[in-house]
Amino acid sequence: MLTLLRDLRRLRRQLDLAPPARASSLAIRHVDAGSCNGCEHELTLLSSPYYDLQRFGLGIVASPRHADVLLVTGPVTSRMHEPLLVAYAAMPEPRRVAALGDCALGCNVLGAADAIVGPLDTILPVDLRIPGCPPTPEVIAQALLGLIDATLTA
Amino acid sequence: MTGRSYREEIVAARAEGWHFAGLHATSDRAHVRTLLADSAGATRLETVAVQEGSVPTIVDLFPAAGWDEREAHDLQGVEFAGHEPLRPLVDHDLRLDRWTVPVRGHDAFQVAVGPIHAGIIESGHFRIHVVGERILHLDARLFYKHRGLERAAEGHTLDEGLAYATRACAACAVANGVAYAQACEDALGLTPDIELARVRTILLELERVWSHLNDLAAVCSGVGLAAGNNHFAGLTERARRLNARLTGHRFLFGTVHIGRSELTLHRDDVRAAADEVAALRGDARRGWHELRFNRSFQDRLPDIGIVDASTATRLGAVGPAARAAGLAEDLRASSPRLAYDGFEPVLPERAVGDVQARVEQRMLELEQTFEILERVLDGRIAPAAATPGAPAQPIGIGRVESPRGATSCILERRDDNIERLRLRTGSYANWPVVAFAAADNLLPDFPLINKSFELCYACADR
Repeated sequence: MLTLLRDLRRLRRQLDLAPPARASSLAIRHVDAGSCNGCEHELTLLSSPYYDLQRFGLGIVASPRHADVLLVTGPVTSRMHEPLLVAYAAMPEPRRVAALGDCALGCNVLGAADAIVGPLDTILPVDLRIPGCPPTPEVIAQALLGLIDATLTA
Repeated sequence: MTGRSYREEIVAARAEGWHFAGLHATSDRAHVRTLLADSAGATRLETVAVQEGSVPTIVDLFPAAGWDEREAHDLQGVEFAGHEPLRPLVDHDLRLDRWTVPVRGHDAFQVAVGPIHAGIIESGHFRIHVVGERILHLDARLFYKHRGLERAAEGHTLDEGLAYATRACAACAVANGVAYAQACEDALGLTPDIELARVRTILLELERVWSHLNDLAAVCSGVGLAAGNNHFAGLTERARRLNARLTGHRFLFGTVHIGRSELTLHRDDVRAAADEVAALRGDARRGWHELRFNRSFQDRLPDIGIVDASTATRLGAVGPAARAAGLAEDLRASSPRLAYDGFEPVLPERAVGDVQARVEQRMLELEQTFEILERVLDGRIAPAAATPGAPAQPIGIGRVESPRGATSCILERRDDNIERLRLRTGSYANWPVVAFAAADNLLPDFPLINKSFELCYACADR
């Protein structure tokens, strides 16, 4: 196991990631409202050593009760409509909603009309739009850090 | 015509060694078609007319047909006589007793998980029946992500239909895309040339590289081994960057076309890709070596989530899950339309179908995939095509071994338009197997058992 830890330390030095430089944090609740799983796979890699978003105080939390941001992927299927509203209602104020990926933004959505109720901004007030199919981890990271900065200056 | 009934045909086919590979109702709801396959890669369709809204069930002959029949009932309204109770699958009935198996007894209670999970996980609901920590039974309710992609594709041209197949799932975009392209080419009487077969093989194996690396990272995270998770997540990132360098997209979107390939790569770029594949192989081995000798990691894996060979056969398990149980089934061994010459499925030494075997299976398959890539990543990549020659047909079939197992695509067409598209992915085949594997295990082991299959919800739900 020491080998892996040593490898990770070396990779960390090579990557020379920017220091956090923000005295703030953001707790994110992710809701998949019918994505193709692409946004999820990119979001997962935000915790990989190449991005290490936790160093900015960004974390995925296990309950909407702990969340500042609802991060929603997918075109919002009819079957995820209600669970999405329940998760939003469970969040404490102030709260923000972020639409992750083109489907959540209502762009080029494929599917049957009776199976999809989105886009997200017709259901919840969207504060942050992150386009892409799927957006790369860099794009997601920049958008989320931008949300922290905007909150700090507001 | 043999004069045999639909069920008699299925009984006879089963006795001859054919296995179930999918079932769907036609879009006019007039017929139900069952796809059968043999281990040499041959396929056949058995069609039965729907009479007074009903056809005989085959779920007693092939339990793997359970989900397919329930789906055809929910989406096309076909009854399956003898399939009782025919529980809703895609329809989300609010009444618990309509969609769960009744579990009663002293101290038995239910744990409800999802559809929204505590992490970055796709949406799906698990109703776990337990006594204390012991799981008695698991009812999985998926299809929260159902977008109606198959019926939305109807009426579109074959070219337009490709988007519906590939965007069903990002993790299987190439596998689903190639299965769809093969189904179209089968219907149009086209055969891929050598270069097209090679390019598709490269794309399919690049998809398997990041997918299997991601699965190993997920298992580490399921055990709580952060260093292992970080190691394999880092390799997953490198594999996706390689995809982007080669094709312009981290998930290889837009690389599969019907009857042709447009990918062009200079010899030096292909050589650089082969070098990165070799480097990934070395680093994957390095990580695997550490995992093998980590007691706290290894201690969690054996003897949980067991799916033995007879269960895997009965339930129609596919892919790494089936091979980890000792079934030497891999469509790559019988894919004349792809460049898998001389391929033989690899099996773990201890093929007992538990979490440990499925994890080891991923690493064995990774080694095999790296070998294939080293062979096919040789020389420049040029635009390629499929050539006419075979007779055109109204129905085409495409089958591809995705990272999660056999994926079948059936295309029914009228001229250049889609009449019915059916995509039955490896994840779709294996979800009922996950539910079975969970029974008799401890509740805290369920996430790990689930990760050892690492199925997509998106391409099951469509």
